[in-house]
Amino acid sequence: MTMLSMPLGALSNLVAAADGPYIATGEAPQWVALIPALPLLGAVLCLICACLNVKNKAPGYLTVGLLAGSFVTTLVAFLGGTDNYGVATIFRWIHASIGADSGTSLVSNFAFYFDGLSMLWMLFVTGLATVIGLYSSEYMSGDKGLGYCRFFFAFNVFVFSMSCLVMADNLLLLFLGWEGVGLCSYLLIGYYYKKPEAVAAAKKAFIINRIGDLGLLMAIGATFVVFGTVELRPLFEMIAAGIDANGEAIGGTWAVVVIPLLLTAGAFGKSAQLFFYVWLPDAMEGPTPVSALIHAATMVTAGVYLIARMFPLYAADDAMIALTVVAWAGAITAFWAATIEFAQYDIKRIMGYSTISQLGFMFAGLGLLGTTGAVFHVFTHAFFKATLFLCCGAVMHGFGGQLSLRRLSGVMWMKGFGITAVCMLIGCLSLSGVPFTAGYFSKDMILAQAFATPGDMIGGAYFIGLLLLLTAAMTAYYTFRVFFRVFVGPKYFEPGDDDHGDDHGDDHGDDHSHAHDAAKEEPGDALHTGFHPHAPGWAMNTAMVLLAVGTIVIASLYFVNKKEDHGWAGTMVKYSSAAYASPGLGHKGDGEKKDEAVGLLPADAEAGAVMPVSLVAEGVVADEDATAKASGTLFGYDPFKIMYYVSAVLGLIGIIAAAWFHGPKGLAGLGIGNRVEPAKVRMDAVAARFGPIPRWAENKWYVDELYHIVFVKVLLVSSHIYHAIDKLVIDGIVDLLGSLPRWLGSLLRPSQSGVLHSYATGMVAGSAVLVALIVLVALL
Amino acid sequence: MSLLYWLILIPLIFAVVIAFAPARQARSIATIGSFVSFGPLLAALFRFDWSNGGSLQFVASYDWIADMGVRLGVGVDSVSLLLIALTVLLGPICVICSYTAVTENVRVFYGWLTGLQAAMVGVFAATDLVGFYICFEFTLLPMYVLINLYGSKNRKRAATKFFLYTFTGSIIALAGLVYVVFHHRSLEGVWTFDIPTLAATAAQMPLQAQSLVLLALMLGFAVKVPLFPVHTWLPLAHTEAPTAGSVILAGVLLKLGTYGIYRFVLGFVPEAVIEYAALIAVLSIIGIVYAGLICWVQKDVKKLVAYSSVSHLGFCVLGLVALNSVGATGSVLYMINHGLSTGALFLCIGMIYERYHTRSMDELGGLAGVMPIWSSFMVFFVMASVGLPGLNGFVSEFMCIIGTFQSSSAWVLEGRAGAAGGSLGPWFAFAAGSGVIVAAMYLLYMTGRVVWCTARQPADYHEHPELPKDLNRREIGLLSVLAVGCLGLGVYPTPLIEAIEPSVERTLAPYQDLLEERAQRLSLDEGEG
Repeated sequence: MTMLSMPLGALSNLVAAADGPYIATGEAPQWVALIPALPLLGAVLCLICACLNVKNKAPGYLTVGLLAGSFVTTLVAFLGGTDNYGVATIFRWIHASIGADSGTSLVSNFAFYFDGLSMLWMLFVTGLATVIGLYSSEYMSGDKGLGYCRFFFAFNVFVFSMSCLVMADNLLLLFLGWEGVGLCSYLLIGYYYKKPEAVAAAKKAFIINRIGDLGLLMAIGATFVVFGTVELRPLFEMIAAGIDANGEAIGGTWAVVVIPLLLTAGAFGKSAQLFFYVWLPDAMEGPTPVSALIHAATMVTAGVYLIARMFPLYAADDAMIALTVVAWAGAITAFWAATIEFAQYDIKRIMGYSTISQLGFMFAGLGLLGTTGAVFHVFTHAFFKATLFLCCGAVMHGFGGQLSLRRLSGVMWMKGFGITAVCMLIGCLSLSGVPFTAGYFSKDMILAQAFATPGDMIGGAYFIGLLLLLTAAMTAYYTFRVFFRVFVGPKYFEPGDDDHGDDHGDDHGDDHSHAHDAAKEEPGDALHTGFHPHAPGWAMNTAMVLLAVGTIVIASLYFVNKKEDHGWAGTMVKYSSAAYASPGLGHKGDGEKKDEAVGLLPADAEAGAVMPVSLVAEGVVADEDATAKASGTLFGYDPFKIMYYVSAVLGLIGIIAAAWFHGPKGLAGLGIGNRVEPAKVRMDAVAARFGPIPRWAENKWYVDELYHIVFVKVLLVSSHIYHAIDKLVIDGIVDLLGSLPRWLGSLLRPSQSGVLHSYATGMVAGSAVLVALIVLVALL
Repeated sequence: MSLLYWLILIPLIFAVVIAFAPARQARSIATIGSFVSFGPLLAALFRFDWSNGGSLQFVASYDWIADMGVRLGVGVDSVSLLLIALTVLLGPICVICSYTAVTENVRVFYGWLTGLQAAMVGVFAATDLVGFYICFEFTLLPMYVLINLYGSKNRKRAATKFFLYTFTGSIIALAGLVYVVFHHRSLEGVWTFDIPTLAATAAQMPLQAQSLVLLALMLGFAVKVPLFPVHTWLPLAHTEAPTAGSVILAGVLLKLGTYGIYRFVLGFVPEAVIEYAALIAVLSIIGIVYAGLICWVQKDVKKLVAYSSVSHLGFCVLGLVALNSVGATGSVLYMINHGLSTGALFLCIGMIYERYHTRSMDELGGLAGVMPIWSSFMVFFVMASVGLPGLNGFVSEFMCIIGTFQSSSAWVLEGRAGAAGGSLGPWFAFAAGSGVIVAAMYLLYMTGRVVWCTARQPADYHEHPELPKDLNRREIGLLSVLAVGCLGLGVYPTPLIEAIEPSVERTLAPYQDLLEERAQRLSLDEGEG
């Protein structure tokens, strides 16, 4: 904590920017380039390892070392406080002029923009990447050789791209990172390339992301047209002043509606929201560390980052159309994904849907104007969800790829899985929002925000809140459904038929695995008869413990700078483009404290700068008190206070329900469960009463099938039709024209008969036609 | 003597030498010859005044038919010089990639291949219409021979179709050019075939005459590009051509079409171009999406890449008719980038064809486990082709799209900072952008079949006597050169963009005012309406 409080002290002493969102005007040190450069170096080294045919764990350890270096660099930058906030230009990337006369040119450098938002993101991206890299070095050790190099190559490129995305100083570099993480996601989902499902999932992820990317691309184009730049700093300056490149007001124009909506499309693609979510569950085909890092903690939050980053543009719209869309889409996605989770049996997929659902919370938070809550939830979610995935991975690794809820039970009591189970429990508690866990605090902020934000700002905010509350209870239920069934209860397992990273816990180095490879080559059914679950080794255990401890520790961040900024995340957000005077926040406590808090929140200092201009004009938020009046309540209380109790109760209800329906008999089932057989639970009887609905939910409401028919099939059929048209019609006409001379020749050939009278006849006929023509022309 | 003459003469001389040298020596002479051209090329690149890249340099000319004003003139601006550089760079790659692929009639093969380079350089270097046209047409002959003698099963038909189709197109383009020459003669009373002079004259023609010339030129060059709907010769020719032929075809020959549009259509008839830009753009966009979707249902991997050229070149033409600097610069950059990445894809496919003698994705696939090096390169070039930022394809594709986005009269009227007039705009950009999704669909479909999944090999497969299972050093070297190019141009395209811009700005100079006038006129019309 001392380490953390030092820079924070420096931060809170700063005089907040008087007008508008915080814009980092300084210069960031050039050495921040190390953050992406080290993983890039790692990627090159992995490539060299592949060329040298390295067959040990060197690529893994190299990666961990370099990523740790990257993390330390980030940490040093962070400890430097706001002094390091600003732009660091590394080199010119794309410079292109629009025209000789216009004088405007498209400038896009390889340059990094540092503010609280990028800092916060980089901290957990590099930190988690290091830890998960360590985990992977053991998890992937069954593939030592080319596969191992390939894995860590993509892993490194991922961290590089993610750094570019988060630290980009312009939208184009952001797009580079955006696509780069997409590529790595593609390569890593398809890591087990011999499995057709993995290949299909990888392709699906890339293509669905591309659909969103088109939105992002168009947004970049529109931004350039309106603002004449794609660089963040000039962009923020213009938005803060409420003008476009010509100095005309942007409020009420198409720009503040269309551009955010296009950005949102991109964000939803990457973060698997609304119509785009279908790729993420399939992405679980990738190795589990990848699911943990890319498809839970970091990459999928890029969409949240994008909106938080461009938040001033969203907030510039008086009607808040885009934000309303974001809020509703987030809430609906959160709920929708939760319904599917109820009936899933693959623990990794459950975690996948849970990620979609939690991302929905984050988007709802952003849409509800609660940037601090959303960003904090990104941060905490990264930790607890990564923990959960790593624990699932340890189970999967230990039981030959078994992931089914029905075929595993009582893992906690098996030798060597104690650490895994405890870490899992910590993760589950946090995800369920049990009081005093990290997830509890961050989710609360979003839930409370829903009731604090007035409905005339974000339409239907109250109903979004109700939906999210319901989802929160469901979350607790499905999370503990996994825990109660897999980790406690009677000991039971059926090993999977899969040998992903099948390298039984080798605590003492690389040689161990060879012995095991031999064992693997025994006849197939040896897997079932002579199978011993192998517990995670030191690297995996260390990683899980580190993350679990992290999950616990970061809960305390909620109390750092609590009064001034609503927690550490609030401080970070305050010094970033996402700074926003969220309704209801900054007005807690008694009057004295209120003034203090208000004064410190930059956006609040002059609400009008961030608040929609028209609202100010109408006097809705003319002064600070007006904001307080405008914010809503829950049961007549300040939602930010009452939510502590409401969500705690809901979370506990969810857990108790899970214990009742799925818990084992005895203490481990909280004394109310009755499961004695591995796969027989109370829920079965309940589910049976709902007829086909559970089956529909298990089949994900057939959305994939629907998409397949409506989009894929239709496109495929039309492509075949186009192909046929191309061959028969378009090329057919060409061939026809091509054969015309020959054809004409063969038609005329009989006329060249050599018979004189036919020539004569022809001549007469020809002359007649000619004369007729002349007469005709003359007449006309 | 101008360096440019050397660039034309060296391959020509070597072609003759190869024709008379012993067959055993043919490939080494061809290799040497292709590298010798690097000398004058490097000298030219070094001595070129890049800051003044818009004006013709290394200008030289000789009288040929004095009475008609026909001269053998050469001279390059930055765009032509860069395209010459691409041609010369691909020279050794095409020669070296054929070492094991072509084993019969080697003299004929290498002779024509080397001679082809002379013709292609000639096209880009010529400043005289007659010289240009002779070289333009002469490229057909070597390509015809290469496809006809060294292609695969259906080569005869492909070669004939290629020849007749593009020849017909060129004749029509010639008619348009001759019209301009006659027009100049009637105005000035003297014959000239000097391209810059003719351009100045042509730009002064009335709209109706300009439109006729545009029609003729577009018909000719669109076939070469190829633009929808005159593209059907390409898949056939590409599929049947030998690897070196495909690389040259995709790398340079198609660019003769876009170069023609850039130099003659954009340079000669600005008013007509503005009038018909939207129409050309629509055809380009149809090409992008339509050809992309057709790619998606191909079974023949080479045909897939061939169709993808149609799709990609659509972006190229779109960027040109955006009529602003970003778009046109992106388009020229696209010509170079497409040459590298698609050329490399054809090389990759040639390499597996040499080993497996099939291009069908049903018979062949899952090569990641069998040929990891090849697979890595393949994935790399697929990503370059898909337009992944950081690799070359993205920069040019993005610039073409953004150029299209800017190109709208509405922006001009609103006085937008990043605006340039034109008749395209956001919806065109959006439609073209959907091609980016389609590109991901078909390229990843191909990668999924060929690279990933379980290994499939033809039943009658037996190892090639001279080639290892995975790539040998020669092949790795070839692909590495192109990979470095793709990466380099993706990470640091600025020098190239800066080199291209002066030429583009000069070509587009007449457009700025015309476009603004047009925008004003449109707004007046609207006001009255």
